[in-house]
Amino acid sequence: MKVFSNSVTFNYSWEEVSIANWQKYGPWNDKSAHVIAVDTLNRHVDPETGVLRTERLITCKQSAPEWLKSLMGCTETSQVFETSYVNPAERTVTMVSQNVTWSNLVNVQETVVYKPLNAGQTQFVQDARITALCGGWQRIKNSIEDTLVTRFRENAAKGKEGFECVLAMSRRAFAEEREKAAAMMA
Amino acid sequence: MSASLAPECNEVKERYDTCFLKWYSEKYLRSNGKTDDNECANLFKDYQKCLKVVLKEKGIDKLIDEAREDTKENDALYIKRK
Repeated sequence: MKVFSNSVTFNYSWEEVSIANWQKYGPWNDKSAHVIAVDTLNRHVDPETGVLRTERLITCKQSAPEWLKSLMGCTETSQVFETSYVNPAERTVTMVSQNVTWSNLVNVQETVVYKPLNAGQTQFVQDARITALCGGWQRIKNSIEDTLVTRFRENAAKGKEGFECVLAMSRRAFAEEREKAAAMMA
Repeated sequence: MSASLAPECNEVKERYDTCFLKWYSEKYLRSNGKTDDNECANLFKDYQKCLKVVLKEKGIDKLIDEAREDTKENDALYIKRK
């Protein structure tokens, strides 16, 4: 098993981050071309705690090394199942994801938490556990795990950059909405 | 908003996503979760009707069920009912 951990501070309130999080893979993010679709599968508010639980299917398309493609049967499209929990009382967003594709070959479990540091800053903490499952062949297992850790590292850098764009655009869109509303009142 | 895995569902998905984002930012966060989540329910139903056909065709529905089963213990951890 290999672990990838990463932490980023965004200079936006938790509310702004939690709203922009739903738009993370939209047109405002030009650094997430590898995510080609995001579908919501289930969503409800827990009546007792107010926690919003959402299931999503995230479809990615990313080139893989040739040797890995031959192992995994050539497909470059892969899917991730994500369950997220928004806790408005504690002000946290927790997202737990695991791979749906190639799940008999490798197990990828990722947890992401967004929580406020103060009124204007939000912390993103990411933790991924990658375990290759094929029996015996330690060298192949290590190669699969290393390849995926490298992929996580590359996507993490792009993810921060892309999400910064989404946050800036989202803030601007909300400011424009407010101005429009104020103009209508005047 | 992002696209759907099924291009034929893009239009209804977009309408649902827009409704959800408005509800989330204007009602859900402001009321600390003390709000019903029904106002986008009909759009969600239409979207799911479209999406489920494609998930089944592609055989992804079963893989999703397995992943859901694998991760269901997270609900107790993160929903935190007393």
